[in-house]
Amino acid sequence: MSHLERMQSIQAMLAAGHRCVELERHSLLLWGLVGGGLCACTDLVINSDTFPEPTQRAIAILVWLATWLGGMSWLDHHLTHKARAKRAETMPFAQAQVTRAWWMLLALGTLATFAMFFHGGGIMIYALWTVLLGLGIFVFGLFSRPLIEWIGLATILLGATGLATGLSFDTARWLAASTFAIGLPAAGWLAARSDEHRPVQRALYVVLWLVAVIAPVLAFARHTATAAAPAPDTATLKVPAGSVIPLHFDLDSPLLAISAGDAMPMRLVRDAELALANGQPDGRYRFGDGSWHSTKEGVLALRIDRIRVEVTAGKPEVRMHGNFVVQGERP
Amino acid sequence: MTTLPSLDPLLHQPVRTQIAAYLAGRGEATFAELKRALAATDGNLDAHLSKLLEAGYLESRKEASTGGRPQTVFSLSGKGRQAFLDYVATLSQLLPGKTVSDALLRSATAPR
Repeated sequence: MSHLERMQSIQAMLAAGHRCVELERHSLLLWGLVGGGLCACTDLVINSDTFPEPTQRAIAILVWLATWLGGMSWLDHHLTHKARAKRAETMPFAQAQVTRAWWMLLALGTLATFAMFFHGGGIMIYALWTVLLGLGIFVFGLFSRPLIEWIGLATILLGATGLATGLSFDTARWLAASTFAIGLPAAGWLAARSDEHRPVQRALYVVLWLVAVIAPVLAFARHTATAAAPAPDTATLKVPAGSVIPLHFDLDSPLLAISAGDAMPMRLVRDAELALANGQPDGRYRFGDGSWHSTKEGVLALRIDRIRVEVTAGKPEVRMHGNFVVQGERP
Repeated sequence: MTTLPSLDPLLHQPVRTQIAAYLAGRGEATFAELKRALAATDGNLDAHLSKLLEAGYLESRKEASTGGRPQTVFSLSGKGRQAFLDYVATLSQLLPGKTVSDALLRSATAPR
């Protein structure tokens, strides 16, 4: 062996020693299943019907997530130690530290979910979880295979892009579920087949991984759009642009009260159509000849960004600026 | 006339260099982990580990294993870590412009 080969061998072994973290198959399956399941089911279990009070709902979410994620962390830790001992392997120092970082990310996500009930921002909760998952994968990847590192980056970008492009709440939810449930096992499967010395292959695998994660979400989004369209015999109400629509604002405040019957007149700027059931809107709507949406998708959002108190002619006035927006479109 | 720097004869053997480099990066490893990382046979690995242990370059400890025999965990001793650093430095002198990644080496030799 020449000196140069020896130096290259030292470099390779040092790198192998550093990248000694193994993502166990059971860890990928467990986290994929539980993370995906929580993204898909939490809103069905904990919602305004089951917990009408926002504070109750926030506490229920905190307990729900802490129980599942805490229990799963314990189980994963236990199974990983067992699997390592069975193979006569130690738990590398890097893996122990990275696992702690993963727990911190899960705790951060849980606390952020809880805090959003009090401080707003709930529309981006699933994008946040996708980004946190990406960070976790990326940190594992730094001490594991380079492909895992790249997939972590791709996941972070996926979450951030979803938020920037204004994905509907439901689509973001299914994207997060897919990233957990399909993305984690797929990352492990691809990593076991990747050659770390072939970056082109790695890039191809990342593309494959993205397709596997995004394709089901796109199919779901298409299905939802089709499902939202009312049947031909469904009664609809067309509201032309320029119509004045009274806004009855139910303000929950210890400082100000709105008198019953007070309404703010608002003018519609685009043609709208509402699907009706028993003479009342059933939650489906569309603008112009666009595609149908459901209010459950969380596409409509009211953002208040400025509140100012002024005194006019000796009387105080509250001036507020906000955007009532359709996600994915510029306000 | 210049004298070429001499390389540590104990580390100047491919398997032993690899053992030292792997342990420098990983911190510690069992026999099974070393065997897998180096793709070495039991007898060959055992012989080289014994030589490094005799020279005081390695430390070993027994770790209780759940449901099996206690495992022996190997790590570089302070002497071994310094010898490995000196070996890489000497090798770098013999190969101007070629060295292992500074970042890798620094983190590998940092105290844990």
